[in-house]
Amino acid sequence: MNVSPDHFAGAPDEALLVAYANGDGRAARSLTARLLPRVLAQATRMLGTQSEAEDVAQDAMMRLWKVAPDWRQGEAQVSTWLYRVVANLCTDRLRNRRGAMSLDQVAEPLDGAPSVVAQMQTRARMAALSDALAQLPERQAQAVSLRHLEGLANPQIAQIMDISVRSVESLTARGKRALADIMAGRKAELGYDDDEPE
Amino acid sequence: MTMTNPNEDMLEDIFAKARAATPAPADDLMKRVLADADALQPRPSAASVPAMGIWSRMLDAIGGWPAAGGLVAATVAGIWVGIAPPASVEDLTATMIGDEVSISLFPTDLMFDAGVLTDG
Repeated sequence: MNVSPDHFAGAPDEALLVAYANGDGRAARSLTARLLPRVLAQATRMLGTQSEAEDVAQDAMMRLWKVAPDWRQGEAQVSTWLYRVVANLCTDRLRNRRGAMSLDQVAEPLDGAPSVVAQMQTRARMAALSDALAQLPERQAQAVSLRHLEGLANPQIAQIMDISVRSVESLTARGKRALADIMAGRKAELGYDDDEPE
Repeated sequence: MTMTNPNEDMLEDIFAKARAATPAPADDLMKRVLADADALQPRPSAASVPAMGIWSRMLDAIGGWPAAGGLVAATVAGIWVGIAPPASVEDLTATMIGDEVSISLFPTDLMFDAGVLTDG
């Protein structure tokens, strides 16, 4: 979908949010173009399925529109706020998913074309990662995903999760160890049999 | 000695694949999000911007007719005090700055004849 040229190029997200709250329709388009791709990517990485990730992305953006009139300028960055909202929405979904492995939903490829097989394998791995995240305590799952899936620095994660940097370090370390143990049982299934990660 | 988890290689590989996933929002999702934005966007209600003239708006700005009444009373009182200062005000100024004070309102006088204030 084509988005009209950004009239707010260079303006901070917060300024656009204020413009939106003041009735400027262009601000919503600019904010969506800026923020939705990242919101969707974060949800996709945590949930592993497109439809769920799209629902979460829409929900997160809807919460942004709702909070706009009451946004307290200078208190938090819009991006930080969104990271937190998406992480919370995703862990809510993961909690509901426990016990129902989404890997089962990944269909076998019908033909043996390598690209199709590789695609299916990547999808299966992403689904397995998401299922493993679902088995972690929620704060660990959030910290691990922000650190290792979003590639954020610990101080930024601390801000997003509203905890100390030391707590982030502890959560990510424990979470990553637990995740490795959970994934170990599915090594062969995920094509890591021959010790040759692609 | 540092022990490494042999499964962490696999995990790092999966993390890297996940980070590489940057799905572009589908047109349908963009439309849904923008429709939400439009539906939730605050709009000034018709009641908050009533059609009224400039005097009504000015009156509204100072607090309506009760405030306007007070403003008129204060203005009238100010004019009256200016014309006929109470004796107590005259006495006070005389005590503080003397009886023979001469102040001109012309700028040139203030600049060149300022000595009147100190010499007098």
